[in-house]
Amino acid sequence: MVTPDLSVEVGTVRLKNPVLTASGTFGYGLEFQPFLELSELGGLVTKGLSPKPRRGNPPERIVETPAGMLNAIGLQNVGVDAFLSDKLPKLRAFDTAVVANVFGETEAEYVEVCEKLDASSGIAAIELNVSCPNTECGGMIFGNDPASLATITRACRRATKLPLWVKLSPNVTDIRETARAAEGEGADAVTLVNTFVGMAVDVERRRPVLANVSGGLSGPAIRPLAVWMTWQVRGAVKIPIVGMGGIMTARDALEFLIAGATAVQTGTVNFVTPSSAATVARDLASWLTQRGIRSVREIVGTMRTT
Amino acid sequence: MMSDFATTVVRNVDLGRGSFLIEFEDPGLGAAMRPAQFFMIGIPGNDVLLRRPFSVCGLPGTFDDATPGTLQVLYRVYGRATSLLASLKRGARLDVLGPLGRGFELRGDDAEIVLVAGGIGSAPFPAFLKELARRGRKASMIYGARSAAELPLLDWFEEHTERVTVTTDDGSAGTKGLVTLPLTSILGDKRKVHLYACGPNPMLKAVARLAVEAGVPCDLSLEAPMACGFGVCLGCVVPVKVDGETRYERVCVEGPVVPASRMAW
Repeated sequence: MVTPDLSVEVGTVRLKNPVLTASGTFGYGLEFQPFLELSELGGLVTKGLSPKPRRGNPPERIVETPAGMLNAIGLQNVGVDAFLSDKLPKLRAFDTAVVANVFGETEAEYVEVCEKLDASSGIAAIELNVSCPNTECGGMIFGNDPASLATITRACRRATKLPLWVKLSPNVTDIRETARAAEGEGADAVTLVNTFVGMAVDVERRRPVLANVSGGLSGPAIRPLAVWMTWQVRGAVKIPIVGMGGIMTARDALEFLIAGATAVQTGTVNFVTPSSAATVARDLASWLTQRGIRSVREIVGTMRTT
Repeated sequence: MMSDFATTVVRNVDLGRGSFLIEFEDPGLGAAMRPAQFFMIGIPGNDVLLRRPFSVCGLPGTFDDATPGTLQVLYRVYGRATSLLASLKRGARLDVLGPLGRGFELRGDDAEIVLVAGGIGSAPFPAFLKELARRGRKASMIYGARSAAELPLLDWFEEHTERVTVTTDDGSAGTKGLVTLPLTSILGDKRKVHLYACGPNPMLKAVARLAVEAGVPCDLSLEAPMACGFGVCLGCVVPVKVDGETRYERVCVEGPVVPASRMAW
């Protein structure tokens, strides 16, 4: 039996397979070395990087909900300088695409982080986080309005020659509008979706469970919503889509690929079973082999509705 | 070394009144594991998504009647996840990630050791008491709970400590009141003591405050909601004071054992 070709191209970024790990669920990658070979991954997306370290929101920060979890971490991160000096040199040793997730409180901060990453080697792409629902200024103000998203994308596009992916918020009336805005300002790909804003209530105390009041919902609960948005965006833009939302298995990943995503990211499952992303990639290969399909590219965007 | 392994349930002993001691095969981790380190345990079935954190209760040599080659975890049935865990029978597969976090450390001084446990917070103390005994260190215990029903392994603790002072909120066992009552009197004696405490956060806060005021060393084993257990989700943080600044540290990696004086509650 021939080993299927899992490689895909997200714009100019060539990935050995279409499975990446989502920002905020995979640390800086190195933490997962006890559980999997990082080189088995198509790529990894870092925790969101800001110009300065951030301490994040007060606890409680997470709560499990049916088939998912709410989080309000508040973009705690080491800052871009510490990432470049402490984490990136170690990540360069692995044969996988390192995608840096970027956010700021202002346009100038986004630009500052993009410029610093642009000057470094070993970054395959920048993913703009314009969709974090958990901080007042963590990007969602830029990501929920097509005009603001266009402005921030344009500024970052000028700040870097690296491939630019824009991570879209699902907390909008029509995700096709923000996807088109990203494409119009030169984004190389859109990644979708970030978490859905939600809330859980402690009924005994009559208080929100999370200190932040609301949080971002992730996990299998959001998968049908995310697959639907992938399908909608596929019909709205020409640039590649990196899809995510509750992917636990290769079959889940295939839903996104068939609906039109060129690659996928696994998120919450990395907390549950830290070796999952590598398993999804391997099982994807088996699925293709069993059906005699030679390349995963033969699957992408092949959904039939008639 | 931390690993994610599949193991087998050997026994799941119903201790009565909602408490269970689950025993599973040790893939060779027990020898190097510290008391109060913990595991993330996968919950069987599809109802519960995330694993749940549990302290190790029994290490090799802790319980005389344990099955050789096993580790023990003490838990109380509280919600859906622990109900499902309680349904597991001998031979069931269990997904376990660990050992995780920093456990109790013992200082090489002559301080009298006092353990303060709140209900199921007694879980890390059996393994710790056996280690203390091996080193010839004596310990006493203050064991509090809402009621007599929530004092698992009380007989075992009475056998393996100098004395157990029981307090309950409703007076159904021991003295009616909180653990801070007997603790205040111990700290008032100005003896040289070292406290180790594990229990619900309000209890730990109260114990920590008393210990810090009295200038007594006190190690807390904290509990927090966790998604991953190995430092990446950043969901389990607590505020701590470092060089006069408050910041967040992860219970799963920098803890679960944290000196009371470090907390910025």
